[in-house]
Amino acid sequence: MLKGAVIGVGRMGLTHLSILNNHPDVNFVAVCESSSFVRRNISKYMKIRTFKDYRKMLDNMRLDFVIIATPTGMHAEIAKYAVRNNLHVFVEKPFTLSAKQGCEVVNMLQGRNLVNQVGYVIRFNDVFMRIKKLLDCGAIGRLLTLKMEMNGRTILKDAKNSWRSEKTEGGGCLYDFASHGIDLVNYLIGLPDEINGSVMQSIHSVGVEDAVCSTFLYKSKLRGNLLVNWSDPSYRKPAYRMEILGKKGKIIGDLHSYKVFFWNKPEIEGFTQGWNRRYITDFAEPVRFYVRGCEFTRQLDYFIACILNNIPCQICSFEDGLKTDIIIERIAKDAAQRGI
Amino acid sequence: MLPKGVFNMDRIILGDNQFFGINHMSEEKAQAQSEHFKDTNAIIEVIDTAYHCGIHAFMFNTYDRVAELTDHFRANPDRYADLRLYPSLPYAHKYANAVNEKGIIGALNSFVFADRSTDQIFGTLVCGAMSVVKQDMIDVMKLLIDAEMRMFHDLNVQAIFLQNIVTDLLLGLGVKEVFIEFANYIKKKYSVEPAFNTMNMPKLVEFLLGCGIKNPIVCSVVNKAGYFMNPCLSAYEEVIRTKPFRPMAMCILASGAVPPKEAVEYVVNQKKIRSIVFGASSKAHIVQTKELIEQYFI
Repeated sequence: MLKGAVIGVGRMGLTHLSILNNHPDVNFVAVCESSSFVRRNISKYMKIRTFKDYRKMLDNMRLDFVIIATPTGMHAEIAKYAVRNNLHVFVEKPFTLSAKQGCEVVNMLQGRNLVNQVGYVIRFNDVFMRIKKLLDCGAIGRLLTLKMEMNGRTILKDAKNSWRSEKTEGGGCLYDFASHGIDLVNYLIGLPDEINGSVMQSIHSVGVEDAVCSTFLYKSKLRGNLLVNWSDPSYRKPAYRMEILGKKGKIIGDLHSYKVFFWNKPEIEGFTQGWNRRYITDFAEPVRFYVRGCEFTRQLDYFIACILNNIPCQICSFEDGLKTDIIIERIAKDAAQRGI
Repeated sequence: MLPKGVFNMDRIILGDNQFFGINHMSEEKAQAQSEHFKDTNAIIEVIDTAYHCGIHAFMFNTYDRVAELTDHFRANPDRYADLRLYPSLPYAHKYANAVNEKGIIGALNSFVFADRSTDQIFGTLVCGAMSVVKQDMIDVMKLLIDAEMRMFHDLNVQAIFLQNIVTDLLLGLGVKEVFIEFANYIKKKYSVEPAFNTMNMPKLVEFLLGCGIKNPIVCSVVNKAGYFMNPCLSAYEEVIRTKPFRPMAMCILASGAVPPKEAVEYVVNQKKIRSIVFGASSKAHIVQTKELIEQYFI
């Protein structure tokens, strides 16, 4: 039985706690959270020890793993402390607030046999798992253009008194929201060689941006566009849309379905020339325990399976998270140079 | 206080996802539905169609726009004399967005005190002041139930469902007291049956029985394709066959993956299921589904 703890019990921390609390191989023994309301209720109703200071918790509890779901600004510091304590670590996305911080954490892993994962949950979504397979086998040929769009209604008023309005804590659309779409590009296609035309706009927020756009250029001549806005009230919940055009075909996908157009008869079983539409209902796999989406359970069960089987995380390690942090930082830098 | 009545679970209940742009299969379809039902009159038209077909039971999540519908029902008591409502609360995205803006405590305050006169706020404070001081989540839950139920006042409510995101989150946390207190509070304050929506039916049924909640009403996805049935189809069939609870089936067509006739046949063959929640936007679809269900439910 693995002994675990959660640091930061907000919306994501609570989701992770709920999903893993009934995992047959996991026993949560401690929780660290700054809100006394949350601490009081967890200790009363879940009979789990609670802490206000993560150092005290990590020093005093005998743990196997820790889940870090605090505001992003604290990720690096806590992850380092956890690695130093030889714990397997799952960190919510984005990994850290700078490539420098991220590098420091990744370097600390050298010589330690610790499972490390970043919570880019869309990598575990049924649709994007399938798109990944199609791209990996070269289904649509050499890639030409890419469009990654993300829209949502997360912020419709300035988030005063919240870490989401503080740049130094990881607030703002680029780190807190667009990071998912950027990571998806990194995961499915790879790091862009050049970043250009980046613009960050504030719509409701005062201290941070609510919309981001950028152009990704690759040496292979692939050109990609990123368009993200988390202040669009026409969306009920966050929506992803990815469109990838290749020499042999095109893929369009969102969280619930995808379609592939092949110019000619493809060599992939089950697909034909022209449009091929696939809905999530055709291929979704159920999970052990569902909270908010199969992908949330899938990513945590994968993390636990890596620990139990003593294998490194291959889907979204700290190193993968660092690569996405590097792109994020380059977008921010590019936008700042432009001064718009 | 809502009118009291003997509870007789409706066999056919019209759900509301289609009215509010929720579709588990396609974001494009969800968007098209959202446009189609932009005007509340378009929703009322479908409700009236169902009502005239003999479907008098409706499940509503507590979206803000549902308040417009319930106002309409209250304004036309003769037209909806036999209306039977099954609210499901809370609508979680509403809270998630508010928490982003105001933090947990700020969001709770804004919901508990929204749309209230000074007198009402004073009343809530008297009842709830202790809980605000104690900050106990069960007391907070009761305040939120009352806040969410305000839009259903003076209407014929049959059962009150805990919405699936909250049910499953709490199920994972394993807090028995919340489920027990929810059930007790719904019975005591609203004199109706407590009920639960879930995406993890087998686990929830075991848990509720372990809480001492007898013969609970549990609404979940049940379809031949096994779509959205966690952990698996066979676990659902086993629990339906062997456990003492009142199952309600939704998403029986698996968003179109199972043909209607096969879908109804499968659900009806799970002997204990006597109630189906379905979504439809057209008269043809409503009539077809109702006839199919009635044909098999003999």
